[in-house]
Amino acid sequence: MSNKIKIFTNGLYKENAIFYQLLGMCPTLAVTTSAINGLGMGLATTAVLVLSNVVIALLRNFIPNKIRIPSFIVVIATFVTIAGMIMEGFLPVLYANLGIFVPLIVVNCLILGRAESFAYNNGVFDSLLDGLGMGLGFALALTILGSVREILGAGSIFGVSLFSANFQPVLMMILPPGAFLALGILMAINNKYKSSRV
Amino acid sequence: MKEIMNLGFKLLLISLIAALSLGYVNGITEGKIAEQRALANERARKAVSPEADAFTEIEVNELGGDIVVEGFEAISDDVVVGYVFKTVPKGYGGTLEVIVGIDNSGTISGVRIGSHTETPGLGAKATEESFYSQYDNMSANQEIAVSKIQKSDTEIQAISGATITSEAVTKGVNSAIKAFEAYVQ
Repeated sequence: MSNKIKIFTNGLYKENAIFYQLLGMCPTLAVTTSAINGLGMGLATTAVLVLSNVVIALLRNFIPNKIRIPSFIVVIATFVTIAGMIMEGFLPVLYANLGIFVPLIVVNCLILGRAESFAYNNGVFDSLLDGLGMGLGFALALTILGSVREILGAGSIFGVSLFSANFQPVLMMILPPGAFLALGILMAINNKYKSSRV
Repeated sequence: MKEIMNLGFKLLLISLIAALSLGYVNGITEGKIAEQRALANERARKAVSPEADAFTEIEVNELGGDIVVEGFEAISDDVVVGYVFKTVPKGYGGTLEVIVGIDNSGTISGVRIGSHTETPGLGAKATEESFYSQYDNMSANQEIAVSKIQKSDTEIQAISGATITSEAVTKGVNSAIKAFEAYVQ
C-alpha cells in the first residue's frame, strides 16, 4: 500500500513534472498568465493523462516496442479530440472555460513522457495513480506559477483584486518574459529547499 | 519481412480503432455542437441588440467588406430597430468571430466575441466585458481606432499585451460599420 502512495506522491511533489522534470514547458509558459488559467490547463491535462496512462497500460503487451511512439501519439491524440468534442457538445459552460486549452494538451510532452516511462512498463492501477499524481502535480505547479504571475502582473488572484487602485502592476510578469522569470525563481526556491533537506 | 508486416498490421489496427471511435463520437456530438454554436450565435445577437425580439437574415455579399459573413435585421414588434453583423477578422491565433450590433441611429449597441483561438490570458481577454463594453454607444459615423493609452469617443483602449487582437476586433467592428452604411443607403 505504501508503494501505491509513493507512486502517487512521486508525481505530486518529488518528481514534479514542471519543477523537477521540466516537461511540458510550452503550455506551461504560454497559459500561466493567471491562476485560473493554470488550474484549468492543469485539470484538463490531468484528465487526459489519467485516461491515456490507463489505455497504454492496458495495451502495453499488445503494442510492439518498435512502434510504441506512434501508437502512443495516436492514442493520446484520439483522447484529446474526443474529450474536446464531448465537452463542446454536452458541457458548453466547461468548454467555454477550458476549450482553448484542449488543443494544447496534444503537444504536452508530459503525457507522452509518462506513457513511455511509466505506463508502458507498469500495471493499470499503478499507471492510473501515476497519471493522477503527475497530473495533479502539474496542475499544482501551474496554479502556483499562474498565481505568482497574476499577483505581480495584474494585482489580483483568481480574478479578485488584491490591492488598491494605486497599485501599479508589473505588466511584464503576464507577458512571455515574466513566464521565464517566475519559473526560474520558483525552481531556484524549490531546489534550495530540496538541497537544504538532504 | 514478417516482422514489418506484423508491426504495420498492429499500427493499422490501433489507427483503425482510433478512427472508428473518433467517427462514432463525432456522429454523436456533431449535431449537438452545431446546436450549441447556433445557440451561442443567437445569444450573441440578442446581447448586441437587446431591443430586438427576432432576427431576419440579410444578404451581405454585395456589402463590400469581405470579412462580413452574416447580417441580420433586428426586429422588434415588426419594426426594424437595428442591424447585427458577424465579421471574421484575423487575430493573433487565427480568425475570430466578432458580432456587432448597430441601431437605427447609427450607434453601436453592443459587441461580442464568438469562437476564437487567441492566447489565454492575453488576447482571450477580448471576451471579457471590460474590453467589449468599450464599444457600447460609440458612433458608427467614423472608423474606430485603437489607442494604447486610453479610451476616447473614437478610440478604444487596447488590451495590454494583445494589440493585435484589439486591432482585429476593431477591424471587425469597422467592417460592420461599413456594411451598415452600405445596407442602409
